[in-house]
Amino acid sequence: MPLSEDELFVLSYYRTSEINGSLFFGRLARALRPGPIQHDLSKHFADEAQHAWYWTSCIDRLGAKPMRLSEAYQDQYLEAAGLPVNLMEVLAITLVFERRVINQYAKHLAVSGLHPEISGTIDRIMEDERWHVQWVRDALAAMEARFGKEHIDATIARNKAADQEVYARTLAEYEARLSFLAAPHDKET
Amino acid sequence: MAVTTDDIRRRMAEILEIPEARATPDTVLTDLVSDSFRLVEMAIELQDDYDVIIGQSDMADLRTVEQLAELIRSRVAVP
Repeated sequence: MPLSEDELFVLSYYRTSEINGSLFFGRLARALRPGPIQHDLSKHFADEAQHAWYWTSCIDRLGAKPMRLSEAYQDQYLEAAGLPVNLMEVLAITLVFERRVINQYAKHLAVSGLHPEISGTIDRIMEDERWHVQWVRDALAAMEARFGKEHIDATIARNKAADQEVYARTLAEYEARLSFLAAPHDKET
Repeated sequence: MAVTTDDIRRRMAEILEIPEARATPDTVLTDLVSDSFRLVEMAIELQDDYDVIIGQSDMADLRTVEQLAELIRSRVAVP
């Protein structure tokens, strides 16, 4: 069954988002000094680039071509949250975003009658996404002595508010295109 | 030896790979870069170099090279 235009839009949106994520982490990986964070962030950067390839390949196998989208979720999210200035702020922004990604992919997986190419791609990506959340959470915990747990928690909470605002705006903006994802059992985690 | 705002200004130019003369004390930070994310990269490198912390809330009040250099200098631990 060929992709509907709405499905193609969503898969292209994921692809663009993964590309932007890889560019963000790639630049940071280049700027950081050698150490555990540089190590994990480099892997994270490589994963995001790989995910963009998975979506490109998935769309191709479904007989379509990726749509060219000018903006990804991260652009609006970073605009709402403000650019991070230190590594803790980078990781706090990342943690909230990665949770959003997992939530969104889980929501998509729950769509009934999902094409196996799409569910297979999401399953593959989800394995990496769980690791992304894990390493970022561990790195933030290791930063508590330097930045203070309260300050880190407050930074995460601030970013979460920005993410929720942008997510609501995105849903409203693309309401028609995303309606196939809005099954009655949907519940944000 | 204590770090000076001029040392920090020179380091900014090095990180951004621009002539030192372009990073005058009065230069507006956003005029130094073609995209704002470059400032994030620079801020992270400066914090590594001088072992200080700068946050989003600090940057909100900063406009020029001198202001950022002075903030960093004020946070560098006296040996």
